[in-house]
Amino acid sequence: MHFSRGVHRLHVSTAVISALSVLVIVFVLGGYTLLLGQTADGVEVILTPRSIARFLLIMMPVAAVAAIIGFWTWWSLKFHISGDDLVVETGIVRRRNRRVPLSRIQAVDVVRPLVTRVFGLAEVRVELAGGDQAETRFRYLGRSMAEQLRAELLARAAGLPGHTPEAPEQPYWRVFFGPLLGSQLLKLPVIGGLALLVALLAFGVVFRELGVLAAALPVLLGLARGVVAPLVMHTGFKAALSPDGLRLRYGLMETRMQTVPPGRVQAVRVVEPLLWRGFGWARLDVTVAGYVGDRQVLSSVLLPVAPRRVAFHLVGLVFPGTNAEAVRLLPAPRSWLRSPFGRSAAGTDDAVFVTQRGRLCRRLDVIPHARAQSVRMTSGPLQRLLGLGTVHVDAPPGPVQVAAENRELGEARAIVESAAGRAHRARATDQRTDRWAT
Amino acid sequence: MPPGSPQILPHVGVPAPPFVSPPSPPSPAPPGPPGPSPVPIGGRAEQAFDPPAGMVWARVSPRLTWHRRIAVLLWALPVTIVGAFVLARTTGLFGGLIWLAVIVVACGMGWIVAELVYRSWGFAERADDLLVTHGFFVKHLVVVPYGRMQYVDVTAGLLEQWLGVATVRLHTAAAATDARIPGLPARDAAVLRDRLAQKGESRSIGL
Repeated sequence: MHFSRGVHRLHVSTAVISALSVLVIVFVLGGYTLLLGQTADGVEVILTPRSIARFLLIMMPVAAVAAIIGFWTWWSLKFHISGDDLVVETGIVRRRNRRVPLSRIQAVDVVRPLVTRVFGLAEVRVELAGGDQAETRFRYLGRSMAEQLRAELLARAAGLPGHTPEAPEQPYWRVFFGPLLGSQLLKLPVIGGLALLVALLAFGVVFRELGVLAAALPVLLGLARGVVAPLVMHTGFKAALSPDGLRLRYGLMETRMQTVPPGRVQAVRVVEPLLWRGFGWARLDVTVAGYVGDRQVLSSVLLPVAPRRVAFHLVGLVFPGTNAEAVRLLPAPRSWLRSPFGRSAAGTDDAVFVTQRGRLCRRLDVIPHARAQSVRMTSGPLQRLLGLGTVHVDAPPGPVQVAAENRELGEARAIVESAAGRAHRARATDQRTDRWAT
Repeated sequence: MPPGSPQILPHVGVPAPPFVSPPSPPSPAPPGPPGPSPVPIGGRAEQAFDPPAGMVWARVSPRLTWHRRIAVLLWALPVTIVGAFVLARTTGLFGGLIWLAVIVVACGMGWIVAELVYRSWGFAERADDLLVTHGFFVKHLVVVPYGRMQYVDVTAGLLEQWLGVATVRLHTAAAATDARIPGLPARDAAVLRDRLAQKGESRSIGL
C-alpha cells in the first residue's frame, strides 16, 4: 500500500467504536433510567416487555444518531502523503487541512492499548517539535496498516522512496522481568515506603487498630504508582537499532513501539540511584522534542534499567562521535550553599557538556554542544554573596536539565563563553540530519 | 534593514550605571580552550555579568522605570483601598493607618527597585549570538545563538503602548530560554525584531 496514492481513512471499526462510545455515554447519562420503575420497595430495575419496549423505542433513534456520528467522524478524516508532507483533512462542514512536513518528524509511535489489541487495531502518533498541539494521531488503524504507515513516514522522512521495505533492525538490549522488578524495588523511597507499610500493618495487628488502614492506603497507592506503574509500563522492554533510528518496544497492558529517528534526541540523563550502583545499574532518560506533557513522562525512558556501560554505550550511539563517560568532571567549589546531597560537578569536551548532581540518586545530564538552544547564567542573592553562579545549557522541554550549579562567578562566565563558542563551532560542523538517509 | 536606519541605542543622555561603566574590561577568560579540557577556570567574579570584550551593553529606554512604577501604583491603589477599608472596619483607624504605612513603604521600595531593575537590563548583539542580561535580585545572563531562534515577537501591553515602548522576545525550542528585552522604544523594537529575524533566517539550522 502506498500512502502517496489515493486517499486513506482510519480503520472502519473506529466508526463502530465511536458509535458504541456515544451509546454508552447516553446510557450512563440517562438512558438507564428508562429501565427503572417505582415499586413498593423503592426504585428498581424492571424488565417487563413494556419497559423494554419503551427503552428500545427511545434508544433506537439514539443508536441511529450514534451510528451516523460514528460514520461521520470516520468518513471525515482523510489522510495521504503528498510530496514531502503528510496531509490530514478533518471535518466535513468545517474543513481543516493540516500539512505536516515529514522532515520535521521527531518520532513516530505505534501504541496499542489493551482494548484495541483485541480488535487488532493500533494508534499511530506522529510527533513534531513545538508544543502540545504539534502531535498528529491516527486512532485507530488496522495493525498492519499502522506498521506500514510508520515505515513509509520514516522512509520518506529519511529521503527514501516510499515503497522502500522497512529498514531491518538489530536487537540491542532487552530488559528481563527479574532485573526490572529488582530495580524498581531497590530504591530508597520504595524501601522506605515498604518499611512504613509493614510497620503500619504490624501496629494495626498488634493493637487491633483499624485506623492505621487510613494511613496505609496512601502509602500503598504511592508504592503502586512508584513500583507497579513503571513495571507494567516497561515489561518486555526491547531496544533495537535500525537505520530508521532507535526502536523501542514495551508495555504489558498497552504495548508501544517507539521509533526515534537519528539526530532527534536532544539530551540524555543517566540516573543511578544509590542502591543500583552496587549492581552497576543505570536508567537512561532522554529529551525528544515533541514529547510534551503526559507523553513526555510516558515516553522519555530509553532504558529502564541496564548496566552502566550499556547505558553509556547507547549514549554514544545516540550522539555519534561523543564519549560522555570520558569527560572529566570538575566538582563545584566547596561552599556551605551546596545541597546536602553532595556537590555538583560539570565538565565539557568539544562534543558534549556534562553535569552531575545528587549523591544519593546520581544524575548525569549530557547535552551535545550542537544541540544547545541557549546558554544561561543565573546568580541569586545568596549565591552572589558567595560569588557563585549557575550555568544552564538549555535543551527543549524534557526530563533533562543540564545545569552546572554553584560555580565561581568568574568561572561561570568563562563556562558560558566557552559553551557558546563550542556550540557555535559544533553547529557549523554538524551534519544536518533532516534527511538522514541521503 | 535600510541603510541609515536608527541604531538601537545606547540612548543619549542615559547615565551609564556604575557597575558597567568601565568601557572595555579585559576578557574574563579565553573562550573555549581547545582539546578535551575540563570546565574552564578563570575570570573574575565581579566581571561575570560584564558585556563581552570590546562591547558595551545596549541599554533600554528609561521609560521602563516609569512603566514599572505606574504598574506598581496601579496595583497598590485597589489593594490600599480594599485593605484599608477592611482593616478600618475590623481593627479601627489604627489598623488602617498601619496598612497605609506598609503600602507606602512597599511603594517606595518598588520605586527604587524599578530604577535598579531598569539599570540591570542590557543586551549586546555579537556576530553569532545575542546576549541579554537583567535582574537585580537574581542576575541573569542569556546567550542565544541566532541560528536557534524559532521566532521573534514584539508585544506591547496597554501601559507599554501608552508609554511608547515594547518588549522584544526571542523564542527557541527550549522553554527555559527567557530572552526578552522590555522597554525598547516601539520603533527600535520593530527594527531590532527585523534585524534579529534576518540574522536568524541566514543562520537557521532547524532543531
